[in-house]
Amino acid sequence: MGTFGPAMDREAEFRRLFEAHRIAVHAYFTGRTADRQSAADLTQDVFLRVWQRLDTVTDLPDERQRAWIFTVARNLSVDAHRHQRTQAGTEQALALARADPPPPASAAVIDAERVAVVGQAIARLPEQQRVTLAMAIAGQLTSAEIAAALGVPAGTVRYRLSLARRALAAALDRYDDPREDQ
Amino acid sequence: MSLDDDLAAWAASVRLPDTEAAAIFERIVRSPAAASSSSPSVLPARLDPSWWRHFSAGFAARMVASNRPVRVAA
Repeated sequence: MGTFGPAMDREAEFRRLFEAHRIAVHAYFTGRTADRQSAADLTQDVFLRVWQRLDTVTDLPDERQRAWIFTVARNLSVDAHRHQRTQAGTEQALALARADPPPPASAAVIDAERVAVVGQAIARLPEQQRVTLAMAIAGQLTSAEIAAALGVPAGTVRYRLSLARRALAAALDRYDDPREDQ
Repeated sequence: MSLDDDLAAWAASVRLPDTEAAAIFERIVRSPAAASSSSPSVLPARLDPSWWRHFSAGFAARMVASNRPVRVAA
């Protein structure tokens, strides 16, 4: 399975891996960087390495291919430029969170605001919780799949998810009833 | 909206759009780096073994010449 005939076979095999894992990898980096564009750049870096080592990856059983890809993702260094952008994005999100509450609005606007509140609360989560939550929600992975990808026990994944959801629920409660803050 | 609805909406807002994913895919498979690594089983061309003998001989000759005392013009 490790050798390819025509170049198109190689490309087709890479496309299969790319489509199978790109959402989860991007979700992982969304959790790591809290920045959508940085996450896209890093996702590209990961899959460039997959392409360059395609024979190695395709020689692995399916369940180990995800582990290989996430090992690359975890090891990928985040350079200073990306780090600065991440910091700026997080600070901007935090600044928005401290802004005065907006005036009463329509149901659609309130829904959008609630999503923004959730996004800001996610940005404030500890990184491990944020990464785990992003992989579960945006990456559509099960607890067992996240555990295998991150190299942690499934129980740890479930615990982090529970803490994250509790923090988000509290943030939404404060949004729904600002008097609770006082 | 429930927390799950809010999280689903957040996930949709941060997810990599299909068009951007397609662009990433194309950039990878069309990149020069990718093209150069598309045949990993083919070893890179090696230098001819005689290259090192010629280089060593030339290098030694230059070293010897450079250490000769400079002739002073009469």
